[in-house]
Amino acid sequence: MSEVAHTSHVRDRTELLIRNLIPYLIAVLASFAAAGVFIAIMGFDVLAAYETILLTSFSSANGFVQTLLKFVPLLLQALAFTVPLAAGKFNIGGEGQLIVGAIGTAAVGIMLADLPAIVLLPMALGAGIVFGALWAAIPAWLLYRFGINEILTTVLMNFVAFSLIDFVATEIWRDPAAGHPTTVPIGAGAQLPLLLSNPRLHIGVVVALLIALAVYVFTDRTTAGYEMIATGANPRAARVFGISVKRMFSFSLILGGAIAGLSGAIEVAGPHRRLIEGLQSNFLLLGIIIGLIAKGNHKAVPFVAFFIAVLEVGASATQRSLGVPGEMIFIIEALILLFILFSDVVRRR
Amino acid sequence: MDTILEMRGVRKSFGDVVALKDVSLAVNRREIHGLLGGNGAGKTTLMNILYGLYEPDAGEIVVDGKAIEIDSPRDAITHGIGMVHQHFLQVDSFTVTENVVLGSSVENPFALNLEQAAQRIEELSRQFGLEVPPDAVVGALSMGVRQRVEILKALYRGVDILILDEPTTNLTPQQVEDLFRSLRVMVEKGLSVIFITHKLREVLAACDRVSVLRHGQKVLTVDREEVTPEALVQAMVGDELDVEESLLFSDRSDTLAGRARTQAVAHPLVSVDALSVVADEGHVLLDNCTFDICDGEIFGVAGIAGNGQQVLAEALMGLKPVSSGKIAIAGESVTDCETRELLAMGVSYVPENRLSDGFLPRANVAQNLILGMQRRPPYSRGLFLDWKQVFAEAQTLIRRFNIKTQGPEEMGANLSGGNIQRVMLARAFAHPSRFLIVHNPTQGLDIPSAEFVYSLLLERKKEGAATLLISEDEDELFLLCDRIAVIYQGEIVGILERAEFDPYQLGKMMTGVRAGE
Amino acid sequence: MEGLEVFENLAELVMLALVPYVLASQGTMIAGRTGIFNVAQEGIMLVGASIGFLAAFLLGSLWYGLLIAALAGGLFGLILAYFTATLKMDQFVIGLALFFTGLGFSTLAFKVVVGVTLQPPLIPTLQAVPIPLLHRIPILGPILFEQNVLVYFSIILSLLLYYFLFHTRRGLELRAVGENPKAADSLGVPVARLQYATTIFGSMLMGLAGAYLPMVYSSTFTEGIVQGRGWLAIALTFFGGWRPDFIFLGALFFAAVEVLALRVQVAGGILPYQFLLTLPYITTILVMIFAFRWARVPAFLGMNYDREQRSL
Repeated sequence: MSEVAHTSHVRDRTELLIRNLIPYLIAVLASFAAAGVFIAIMGFDVLAAYETILLTSFSSANGFVQTLLKFVPLLLQALAFTVPLAAGKFNIGGEGQLIVGAIGTAAVGIMLADLPAIVLLPMALGAGIVFGALWAAIPAWLLYRFGINEILTTVLMNFVAFSLIDFVATEIWRDPAAGHPTTVPIGAGAQLPLLLSNPRLHIGVVVALLIALAVYVFTDRTTAGYEMIATGANPRAARVFGISVKRMFSFSLILGGAIAGLSGAIEVAGPHRRLIEGLQSNFLLLGIIIGLIAKGNHKAVPFVAFFIAVLEVGASATQRSLGVPGEMIFIIEALILLFILFSDVVRRR
Repeated sequence: MDTILEMRGVRKSFGDVVALKDVSLAVNRREIHGLLGGNGAGKTTLMNILYGLYEPDAGEIVVDGKAIEIDSPRDAITHGIGMVHQHFLQVDSFTVTENVVLGSSVENPFALNLEQAAQRIEELSRQFGLEVPPDAVVGALSMGVRQRVEILKALYRGVDILILDEPTTNLTPQQVEDLFRSLRVMVEKGLSVIFITHKLREVLAACDRVSVLRHGQKVLTVDREEVTPEALVQAMVGDELDVEESLLFSDRSDTLAGRARTQAVAHPLVSVDALSVVADEGHVLLDNCTFDICDGEIFGVAGIAGNGQQVLAEALMGLKPVSSGKIAIAGESVTDCETRELLAMGVSYVPENRLSDGFLPRANVAQNLILGMQRRPPYSRGLFLDWKQVFAEAQTLIRRFNIKTQGPEEMGANLSGGNIQRVMLARAFAHPSRFLIVHNPTQGLDIPSAEFVYSLLLERKKEGAATLLISEDEDELFLLCDRIAVIYQGEIVGILERAEFDPYQLGKMMTGVRAGE
Repeated sequence: MEGLEVFENLAELVMLALVPYVLASQGTMIAGRTGIFNVAQEGIMLVGASIGFLAAFLLGSLWYGLLIAALAGGLFGLILAYFTATLKMDQFVIGLALFFTGLGFSTLAFKVVVGVTLQPPLIPTLQAVPIPLLHRIPILGPILFEQNVLVYFSIILSLLLYYFLFHTRRGLELRAVGENPKAADSLGVPVARLQYATTIFGSMLMGLAGAYLPMVYSSTFTEGIVQGRGWLAIALTFFGGWRPDFIFLGALFFAAVEVLALRVQVAGGILPYQFLLTLPYITTILVMIFAFRWARVPAFLGMNYDREQRSL
């Protein structure tokens, strides 16, 4: 390729990137504006609220680490949604897969607590991945064998997982000292090594980013990834041209489940060091929102996930310092999503 | 002359594609007005505008001397305009009566009252010679009957102007004659008929006047009595195509014989033996089909749409499980092969329903072009795809097959129907294949592109490759095939040799009459 | 006689538990019959529960609660219809987005009005309205004719929907839209108008279904109040073959499982209660295996109809 063609190609790329970013900027501004009206009506100082929401993550080391800790499960949950989405399947079961993955890691971490880290840590994380994948394999099998809509089955499996974690945390490895259903701690060897010790930051960040990179390479560079995307683009045509779409559907759901399971494993092995009922927080919903805002683009997912993590950390700070209900941020996020979707329509015309 | 309908200066574009440029059309009372043109000439678009399905960018419509506004089919029906679509617009799970009354105005929308409607339908059937069973579920009826249902829908609403879009697509020559007779009855009873077709023969047989469209423009309107077939052909193709040299308009007995008829090698490449496909519910889709296809042969399959053609193609492609019988390619049994394996063996396929069965609207042109080839060099190096190579190849194919697109990175959804078909063809013809299955390959293509497809098929023949050409266009089959098998309700009724090709014989067989009966 | 009493008691509870399933599922069905697949049930029911509770609490009448919950549901339906029937955007994506919005909004509205408190305000429950004479029929009387108004409404609604869909011209048109919108459109059936009407009406039913929960069970709003009933309602719609009559019968089954799981749990003993809690979900998953075999789904369900889309 000649030098001139190359630079013009690069300029096109930059231009394209900017053109793609503009709707996002407008969507974010519009959502903040719309939500601002609401916050003002509730009688809070809008500017102070937004300052806290946007800057908490960057105003202290602690804030930044909190943001990264939030970023890890959000990124993984988003990928657990977008990987099956590439094949045209909706995995709404990331929450259950996270919980069951967390149970797997906790089980290994508690039962084999005395093993050295070099053996125990991979086993504990591996157990989380496998458990998450198996939990997703149930809807995947039901889809493969009976053609049952995966949205329903993945969601229903979440509710089953809620009971399961309650059972494990209250009946099997209950920590009697804790007020809330919680297990005893996992062995030291099952804990994720730290990158920073004060404030504590575990290496889950690195793991999550590597997973995101691997997912990107898989979907955009490999033959199997192409087949997955072709399946999502038109399953019938993909089948006519030799791709086993039923297998691809199931595979994508199980892969999503494995990633969600890993997010549970990291929560147990990283920040909590034990299984706590409710550790899944609202990661699933945020993950789906991130996936949809990024429109399933695996290059964009990590950036969107980071942005949402900033908002989430900022929102809890705002609730503490100003008393603005934390749910407010949820409305902003939903609005951003709606505006982004809307911009697609505008562009189409 | 008494003009019932006028369309003036109608313009319409879809995105960047201009479909109609200032088209004007006048239709007289009580005439059959032919609207002739190749695919993509804008005939259907113009009529969809008249029927309120598309909104024109400019232009006006005058009915009975009054300018009217048509925003929806409801308006069109109010103004006495009815349309019979090429692809029947029917609810398969409803009965004939339910389909006919759907949407018609009633005094009480909170009652059903179908008995009265059924009576009226029977009356109309008798009057116009369009027999239908009012209580039968439409999905179970033959194409010929469904065609009548479609016409009755319009007549039931008491239309003055009836538009028929390629109404003969699914009919045998005999049924076509019946249809033309019914149309005459309608005209005698005071209706005006607009008859869309790309077949010259039909215009000459049925119409009083003819308008020809080409590239979204009206070329001429003439009385049928005053025009020669040659003049109409020239109007259809303009000067883009040398009619003398054209395959499409050649007289098959001489031109083709010299150009294309090479001796088929006696050794069969593909042999299909007693192939049957039975659906889960026990319905027989393909019944004991036996035939061979030789190297260097174009083997045709004729039949009315929906008689098992697609099942046959899909069984051969490993997409429909075979219930009994054998398929072999070059002596090797492939009966239970998966599609992937067949593709790897050098079988290629152009499905009939390009949008649903062959195209990825949410993927770019390059991604579309490698579908089915993604595991083969030069596109793939083991686990990874070589996108550079893919894009380079895509550029070549876009040029060679004249695909109108901004480039390999454009989203598939932006392509027009004809260009999607070119992508399908590029995919199938880009790499040498021993055995090609094509189903209605020229649908949606304009005349020069159809020519191009024919030349590609004949090229294969010259190279000694085998082709199975499934088509509902008998002219196409007569032009290209060495032999034609006729399929009726999943059964091969007979195989005609080139010397036996005859439209009436073929038409008889298409309704299930065996050769020689 | 004790066995009979237990049965009567259970049957009455089943009739009570039936309502949210019937309402949400019929709402899903009617929109689906015009091709719009609503998957925001859970979110809309949460909004119904929250707004319905707040309106009842602030305005002092359950009727206002029900009315406003239905209107809030209708608003969600309007948004869904606008984004799908008019703007032709992916129905699942918009449905999910509305699900989140409902989820966030329900808690936010409650917190803004009530604040964070350990002692939330309470509203009265819906009282049974016995139907004169009929409620005195032995056994059947108390089960069928001594219930709250929404139980009666659910039964009548199901009957009316059945009659409407299969015995009226309008019903025929509506079904045609979900089977082949282009055919319906080409005959002048107002496709978009019917889609709006059914989606809004269906979502209003979901809003009611949500408002019913605090008014019958908890007397207040909690975040977990809907407990997946919205998702179960989708499953029920498939189970009922997208037909009002079978949906009603299926709802009896779903309600019975819910009541049974609760009863056995209260009785205690046999199994850890966590397993009983999973019963409705696991049963539903098993039932789906059967439902997806037999359900005749509207042919155009989940797809958007675009009149000017050319290549078809």
